[in-house]
Amino acid sequence: MSFRRKLFLVFALTVFLCVGAVAWIVSAMTRRAFERANEDQTAALVTQFRREFDRRGGEVAHRVATIAGSESATRMALAVSRGPADYSVFVNEAKTLADNQQLDFLEFVDNRGTILSSAQWPAKFGYKENSLPLISPNVSSPSQASPNKTAFLRQEEMPDGVAVSLSAMRPVEVGDKPLYVIGGRHLDKDFMRSLELPAGMRAILYPNLAKGFYPELLIAPEKVQQPQQLAPLIVQVQQKGQEATALLHWSDNAVDDESVHAIPLNGQDNQLLGILLVGNTRRPYVELRNRIRSAALLAGSVGIILAILFSGWASSRVTRPVEQLAEAAREVAEGNWNARVPVNSSDELGALAESFNRMTGELLEQRERLVQAERVAAWRELARRLAHELKNPLFPLQLTVENLVRAREQSPEQFDEVFRESSSTLLAEIANLKTIISRFSEFSRMPQPQFQRVQINEVVQKVARLLQAQLQSPEHPPVECRVELAEPLQPIAADPELLHRAFSNLALNAMDAMPHGGTLTLRTRHSAGRVVVEIADTGTGLTAEECERLFTPYYTSKAHGTGLGLAIVQSIISDHGGRITVHSVPGHGTTFMIELPGNMDRLPAAS
Amino acid sequence: MKLFGLFLLAVVSQALVVAAPASTRPHYGGTLRISIREAPASLDPADSDQVGMFASPGLWRLIFDTLVTLDARGQAQPALATSWQADPGNQRWQFMVRHGVAFQDGTALSSDSVAASLRAANPKWKVFAAGDAVVIECDAATSNLPAILTLPRYSIAKRGGGKLAGSGPFAINRWDPGKKLVLTAREDYWGGRAFVDSIEIEMGRSFREQVIALDLGKADIVEVAPEQMRHAVSEGRRVQSSAPAEWMALVFSRDSQSAEEGKLRQALALSIDRTAINDVLLQGGGEPAGTILPNWLTGYAFLFPTTVDLEHARQIRSEAGGGPGWTLVSDPADPLARVIAARIALNARDAGLVLLEPSTLPTSSKVANVGLVRMPLPSLDARVALSELAASLGLPTPKFEGDPAYTLYAAESALLQSQRVIPLVHLRTATALSVNVMGWQEDPDGSWRLPNVWLEMGKP
Repeated sequence: MSFRRKLFLVFALTVFLCVGAVAWIVSAMTRRAFERANEDQTAALVTQFRREFDRRGGEVAHRVATIAGSESATRMALAVSRGPADYSVFVNEAKTLADNQQLDFLEFVDNRGTILSSAQWPAKFGYKENSLPLISPNVSSPSQASPNKTAFLRQEEMPDGVAVSLSAMRPVEVGDKPLYVIGGRHLDKDFMRSLELPAGMRAILYPNLAKGFYPELLIAPEKVQQPQQLAPLIVQVQQKGQEATALLHWSDNAVDDESVHAIPLNGQDNQLLGILLVGNTRRPYVELRNRIRSAALLAGSVGIILAILFSGWASSRVTRPVEQLAEAAREVAEGNWNARVPVNSSDELGALAESFNRMTGELLEQRERLVQAERVAAWRELARRLAHELKNPLFPLQLTVENLVRAREQSPEQFDEVFRESSSTLLAEIANLKTIISRFSEFSRMPQPQFQRVQINEVVQKVARLLQAQLQSPEHPPVECRVELAEPLQPIAADPELLHRAFSNLALNAMDAMPHGGTLTLRTRHSAGRVVVEIADTGTGLTAEECERLFTPYYTSKAHGTGLGLAIVQSIISDHGGRITVHSVPGHGTTFMIELPGNMDRLPAAS
Repeated sequence: MKLFGLFLLAVVSQALVVAAPASTRPHYGGTLRISIREAPASLDPADSDQVGMFASPGLWRLIFDTLVTLDARGQAQPALATSWQADPGNQRWQFMVRHGVAFQDGTALSSDSVAASLRAANPKWKVFAAGDAVVIECDAATSNLPAILTLPRYSIAKRGGGKLAGSGPFAINRWDPGKKLVLTAREDYWGGRAFVDSIEIEMGRSFREQVIALDLGKADIVEVAPEQMRHAVSEGRRVQSSAPAEWMALVFSRDSQSAEEGKLRQALALSIDRTAINDVLLQGGGEPAGTILPNWLTGYAFLFPTTVDLEHARQIRSEAGGGPGWTLVSDPADPLARVIAARIALNARDAGLVLLEPSTLPTSSKVANVGLVRMPLPSLDARVALSELAASLGLPTPKFEGDPAYTLYAAESALLQSQRVIPLVHLRTATALSVNVMGWQEDPDGSWRLPNVWLEMGKP
């Protein structure tokens, strides 16, 4: 993965994580905040509902008080106080007064608990009112009978069943025998509908007429869908008699969730008469939460896109100079020491580019100086070697000529014989000089490679066959020749003659390094797109210093030789774009490793 | 007869002139305005589905006559028939048709028209004209045929061409079915012209609307609900009430299916507090009833118990064990009936019996229905009244054999012993009159005698 891509990924990941973390934190904080707000709102709504409920109770109490203070009630109380009540006179009074005061229930009860008139059950005159234990003959004071001035819940027995009412009771204290006025509103659909509730809130009444949950008993302005969902909450309140809250999921969509608060409604004797369920929809909260989540997602997405763009720009901004530097370094490594990096900034990257340019400039100068020095050194070495090579044959030439002069002067009679001997010596030494000069000439006229498609294995096999003849000679020390060729080996573009010459040279040197016999190994393999040829011997080996100077022209470890052989080998390998290295362990042998590239681009177009 | 009537009228008029001050002297003229609750769709007396006009307060007599009428004591008196006689066996009767009677369209009443009218009223009879008489051959011995012929459905009417004409004291002037009927006094009425010139009857008005109309001076005669009678009197209205002539009872839809059910019915009858229903709910507008017919009509009703005996009812209930519950149905348009039904259900509950509203019962349960019915006395003749009531309630036809006084008691007892009915109360009918209305008369059964009513002009 490139540096730019890594940098880009780092930037992008950083921004993504930051944006994601921020979005999550914001969402979590918002959710908590809205949960609290929702709870507060629910509590406020429940409180408001309680106030509304109490207000309705106050209304009922006020109306009952109005009736208790009416002329009709006074007349009735007077009639009761005078003697046995004549129900016929008052039997319809309750209905009329109840209609006037918009009450669903109204009863007039004497001090013995006998119903004089009932609006909700007119036929019940003369029967005892048993649902209010406070009314009894033993109660002497009306205030003692009705200590609680506020409205209360009551179960009303009706012809068609039982109903729950919000009732109030007031005594009519006229005469010795009080008359009780008990009136109330039916907690039915109309009552629930009449409650003023904020938007999103609803109230459901469950009359607790029996243990367990009976969905048909639910009273609500509108039909309750999936009433069974309320069962656990209702049963909980029935069992514990305390308020409870539950979050109900009416569908898979969280928008339809509803927070339901159950309030037990107790009668005068603390009997659970009903359960009021106040529901507060979570729709606004859920929708707001979804909107925030969407906004966070959008912001995150935009952030990521911006992060991608910024990361791309930043990484390219940072990596371009580095890439230019890397490209320049590659060029330098490939030999183009003139490669320069543009300096586009004054920061560290600019300083790095300047340093690189300075380095390559200095390297170039140093190379030139080195080349110059090497050239001088090479000339000096050449001159030294030449002087050394030439001095050897020149000294015998000089002696021979001096012998001739001496012989002519001192022994003329032996001059002819001396002249003949000296002539053969002169000719031999002159031939030696000619050999030396031809070698130098040959080295200076090393031909350029003629590239063609070559199978290295074939070249190595040819070299091995050539060596076999020598190796089989009885005068030659016993050297085993091993040929280990990699198959298949891709062909390369090379000059087979020059390579043959180089391999032969190395093989002959290896044989020379094993005067007492050994093993000569010729091996081919491929490595990283290159062909590798190894020529190894098991001879005496070379020291580290010898390895360093091995390819220097005229350096030789042999007793005879020009020392140009390995230089020629190196020149051939270098002309092929390859590389030759040596690895040797003194006493164990030496291995020459030649790496040759494919060079297929050097093939002539026709091939 | 007509001459006698005119003579009588003259004598009475003179007597009144002598006895009464000038301001109370009857005089002709004026329009009598009446409001009633019922809203009949047809004026034809032969219409078997008819109600209202041919129940109390007997307004049908304004348009139609019968061959025979009943006096206040329930005795048959000549009307369109001047005389009658029966063959031995009381199966063949002959009625002499009065002469000089005309229908409101001017055509003369004849024996043929009378026979035609009677044949339409009862196809089972063989009715034919025989000169000036009409012969009726019944399918069985009918000793009280004259009393039967006083029933509204045996009114003599002329039907033809889609028109209906009677021979009564008033002619139909305008008829809006179920809404308004305007009658005009007939100058040629055989019994003498009525005092008022016309009668306007507003129909389908509730008791409250009628009282308001009376108070506003828009009506002269209105009906008063029995339970409102006391209140109306206390408010200073002029109220006339009849003898208890309306019968309220529980009627079972079928006979008792077992001895246990019979006991339960007996227990129900014992548990009902009739006194409380009458005194409180009906405001004393009637009398607790133990019989079908009122005591003033039979004289023996007091023999049948009417008091509540809850202890006995519970005992019988426990002896009966389990049994079917009942649905008690009442007239949904009558709030008083609903209250009475609720009271009866309460009483029954005290005895351990169950009476339920129809809406509270599951459809799969099978119960015997009980209906709270309220019916006017159909006739001043006790036998006719009992027969008519039994027929209208689907009860077995009472048989009257032997001594008439005893047979009536036996027949009614048999009906009561069938446990198909539980009498509750006999109600009075009440009528409120404006101060202008004079000469008010009504029969013991509450039927109005309007031809003799006259209006005092000028009184507020």
